[in-house]
Amino acid sequence: MTDVPAPVPARRSALLDLRVVGAMWWRELVRFRRDRSQLFGALSRTVLWLLILGFGLGATLREIEGYTYAQYILPGVVTLNVLFASLQSAIALVWDRQVGLMRQVLVSPAPMLSVALGKICGGASIAVIQGTIPLAMAPLLGVRMGAADLLLAWAVMFAMGVAITATGVILACRMRTFEGFGSISNGVIQPLYFLSGAIFPLKGIVGGVGFLDIPQALRDDLARYGVYALGGGWVVELPQWLRVMVYANPVSYLLDLLRLVLLGFSQMPLWASLGTVALLPPAAVVLAAWSMSRLRHA
Amino acid sequence: MTVVECLDLGRSFGDLAAVEAVSFTMEEGDFFALLGPNGAGKSTLLAMLTTLVAPSRGTARVAGADIRTDPARVRQAIGAVFQEPALDERLTARENLAIHAALHGMPRRTARQSIAEALSWAQLDLAAERPLRSFSGGMKRRLELARALMHRPRLIVLDEPTLGLDPQGRRDLWDRIARLRAGGMSVLMTTHATHEAEACTRVGIIDRGRLVALGTPADLSRRAFGGPGMPLEEVFVQIAGRALRDTEASPRDRIVAFHKRGGEHTR
Repeated sequence: MTDVPAPVPARRSALLDLRVVGAMWWRELVRFRRDRSQLFGALSRTVLWLLILGFGLGATLREIEGYTYAQYILPGVVTLNVLFASLQSAIALVWDRQVGLMRQVLVSPAPMLSVALGKICGGASIAVIQGTIPLAMAPLLGVRMGAADLLLAWAVMFAMGVAITATGVILACRMRTFEGFGSISNGVIQPLYFLSGAIFPLKGIVGGVGFLDIPQALRDDLARYGVYALGGGWVVELPQWLRVMVYANPVSYLLDLLRLVLLGFSQMPLWASLGTVALLPPAAVVLAAWSMSRLRHA
Repeated sequence: MTVVECLDLGRSFGDLAAVEAVSFTMEEGDFFALLGPNGAGKSTLLAMLTTLVAPSRGTARVAGADIRTDPARVRQAIGAVFQEPALDERLTARENLAIHAALHGMPRRTARQSIAEALSWAQLDLAAERPLRSFSGGMKRRLELARALMHRPRLIVLDEPTLGLDPQGRRDLWDRIARLRAGGMSVLMTTHATHEAEACTRVGIIDRGRLVALGTPADLSRRAFGGPGMPLEEVFVQIAGRALRDTEASPRDRIVAFHKRGGEHTR
């Protein structure tokens, strides 16, 4: 064969091939860098939710549990960007396997677990980048963060990105056709976002304009029950059905952990949040890798 | 030496038998065309041979490896080019090849060399750093063929390779295939263009999931008309009949159509 490029030694077969993980990871990041519309989306969500809704609604709701509304919603907007970034990256797989590179991946000998791991880590990295945009507004909102807080926040965001990208990959493997991201945005992202406690608290005191101050003694009493208030306001209690849905949403726990890191305030039991962040991402990765390996030899 | 051996190979999707009990062999060095109308089962057959789709009956051996029990070895032994480009359009030519090298576990040093050679083989050195969005159909096809050769496969598999190419692109593709064959490469392709199959050493006619005829173009002519020399087009219509084949759009067709309408930035 005079005309054919150089020979290649036979490859070893393994489940974990770091070159494959690296190549797929890098691919996601290059794709992201060349698509400005994604960055624009992250920016526009930040401005709309954090600044416009945050300060707009914040003018009426003076405080939630001692935080301004814009502060309260900050971890939620980070989560929203993580949700969008992760699912956009994951759902591209539907496309990719019909008219993109994925068929070439499927006919290559590369181990699928490594392909999936690279893809998911790539999606999670983009999620961290997009989630950092609202985070950069923290000083503007009066949220103080040290370097350690930032690293911890990134860790939680990455774990969240892994869990959601992997879930999206499982979904994408089951979708056979696709005509736009709208159904994902309306059908998956928004329910997960609205039912995560991102924009309203589960319980607590919401301070409105013109309310009388709560006496210090009562405030101390309430603090013992986990309800905090700086000014005055009314006690919020969500309807039972809504509470159930928020508690059933795994994103609530990841978001709550992020809120704990960023604001030092949380609404969910800590053990549940830590359990979710430790178990959900690896479990989702395993299932996603399994789903992707079934694309081969379908 | 036998490079492809199908034994009673078939695949059903629900009630629909896309491919029914196909058996044939292809020898090393053959230029083998699977000829058939739209929806005949050519692509499903090819998808089974490239381990993308599992057979529901029978099996096949590609370069000695069983597609059911040893798909990883089959994947190492073939170089595939699909109907629609299987490329990442946001990546450059070089980046696409780099991913291929990683997927095939090429050592980094060999990979760099191999990528450079593939780019020059495809005459894309000057376009190597451009994202593929700006590439013509012919450039993409050349890149894909060069990529399919990078890991030194025993068999090249092409699904409708000339679809969407202009006459110059088609001519260039056939020239390249002829040069590969002169070097001893085995080539298996599907096509619905009968004149493309004329140059093949063996032609299998597929209709409604069945292999209805198999042989050299001269053999097939003799069988259909009692003598050699009839164009394959006539032979094909004689064997497969004149009825039009209307098939429903597949999910892939729909996504391709969506893309052509300018859809979805997520690609």
